[in-house]
Amino acid sequence: MNIELTGVTRTFGRNRAVDGVSLTAGPGVLGLLGPNGAGKTSLLRMLATVLPPSSGEVLLLDKDPKRTAERRDIRRRLGYLPQNLGYYPAFTVVEFIEYFALLKEVPSARVPKAVAAAVERVDLGAKAKARLRTLSGGMLRRVGIAQAIVNDPDLLLLDEPTAGLDPEQRVGFRVLLRSLGETSTVVVSTHLVEDVGAACSEVALMDNGHIVFRGTPSELVARGEGHGLGDAPLERGYSAVLQAARASTVAAGDAA
Amino acid sequence: MSHPNPTDDPGRDLNMSGIDPGGIDLGGIDLGRVWTGVAAQVWQRHPGRLERLTARLLRSPGLARALLTTPSLLLPWLISTAVVFSAGGLVSLAGGEPMVWMLAPGVAAVGIAYAYGPGVDPAWELACSMPVSERMVLLVRGVAVFAVNAFLGVTISAISYLVTTHGMHVAADLTAQTVAVTFAWLIPMTAISAFTLAVAVAARSASAGAMAGVIAWGLTVIATRVSTGDFTAAVTDSRTYLPYLVVAACATAVIVYTTRTPRGTPQ
Repeated sequence: MNIELTGVTRTFGRNRAVDGVSLTAGPGVLGLLGPNGAGKTSLLRMLATVLPPSSGEVLLLDKDPKRTAERRDIRRRLGYLPQNLGYYPAFTVVEFIEYFALLKEVPSARVPKAVAAAVERVDLGAKAKARLRTLSGGMLRRVGIAQAIVNDPDLLLLDEPTAGLDPEQRVGFRVLLRSLGETSTVVVSTHLVEDVGAACSEVALMDNGHIVFRGTPSELVARGEGHGLGDAPLERGYSAVLQAARASTVAAGDAA
Repeated sequence: MSHPNPTDDPGRDLNMSGIDPGGIDLGGIDLGRVWTGVAAQVWQRHPGRLERLTARLLRSPGLARALLTTPSLLLPWLISTAVVFSAGGLVSLAGGEPMVWMLAPGVAAVGIAYAYGPGVDPAWELACSMPVSERMVLLVRGVAVFAVNAFLGVTISAISYLVTTHGMHVAADLTAQTVAVTFAWLIPMTAISAFTLAVAVAARSASAGAMAGVIAWGLTVIATRVSTGDFTAAVTDSRTYLPYLVVAACATAVIVYTTRTPRGTPQ
């Protein structure tokens, strides 16, 4: 398993952003769904080794990120697209991706080809020499995806990767996701259930710091049959699971 | 020399049709792979001599790139350092006051402030997920600032001392005097730089750090002038060294605390 979380909790002051999450994942594309504030980004940041858990055990790529040497090894094999991608406006697309390839310790001799392949995979060849400050939001998002995949990561973490992409680009991105998921573990945090339906082999639905559903997209669809809000089958499943989870929380609170 | 954009190549349309380059196999020739090889050659950025040398010294091309190009500080910092040292040297020659000593801490402080921090580095979140850690980048940048300033300081102090004593007979004492002079300003420079960096990372603003550092140094110079009557006491009075070192230690503790990876609230 490339991801093994056991009872992972992350708190910020009194707020439990992630509350006792246990999760395992191997190769494939795992969609992380949930409303705003559900804890998706905090969970992804912990998987990216940017944020340590307050408690619980994390194993990534069979290594413990608490240990410095193992954390460094994980990071070499990790791709991460944060929700807010910061960038250097004066860098060109190629310079930016190359810079992060070097920081990921991709061997120097392999860097030019790795950068070119990443640029082409996100269809930015025509903008390879353009300065980042001249790019649109969607293009910047693709630059972010390119830097995330430049090292051929075994674990790829994408936080809202399709934000700003037009429908055609999103279709292309789903193709890329499926291709990456054949060999790597890809975790995609998103609000867009149609992305999950089209590209993800599995879905985890988070609410209030907990994972309240884990299964395939078709299993999520099945949960929405006959009830739930939403226009599409996946949306109905999403709403039905959330309603059920919140109802059980209220019931548990009343019982206590 | 500017590189031609390979996307101008009409042959590109043969195989690069979208997000997945795939690879169109024509008689065993994988055009996708060929194209990637061509693009890699054309887009490749060739590091300069300084970057290659730094990469060899640090044994890390990523660290060398971080030091020299991000966030593109090196040239302005070097220019400002050289200008201030030159101006200080000239003033010293004219008036006999060791202005280089007085200016050096402020210069180093500003250089450090703009070299690091979540408020300075827009790609901070990404940098935190890299094998080459942000602390290592900070360390290397800090060492670089001190090393270059120390080199310039020694050189200008030596020239200044030699010329102001009007004679070649002092050559024997030159090395010892130069080291003493450099040591004198290196300690306050360390303290002020550490203080500046601490404010910069705590406030998440390089400008706030730089301003705090310059103000702190100005107040130090004025305070020592008032208490001793000597304008240069801030760098020449050995009694100030201990307080400087205490300030440096406290500031370092603040930096380590502020830049730690947040642990969250234990359960």
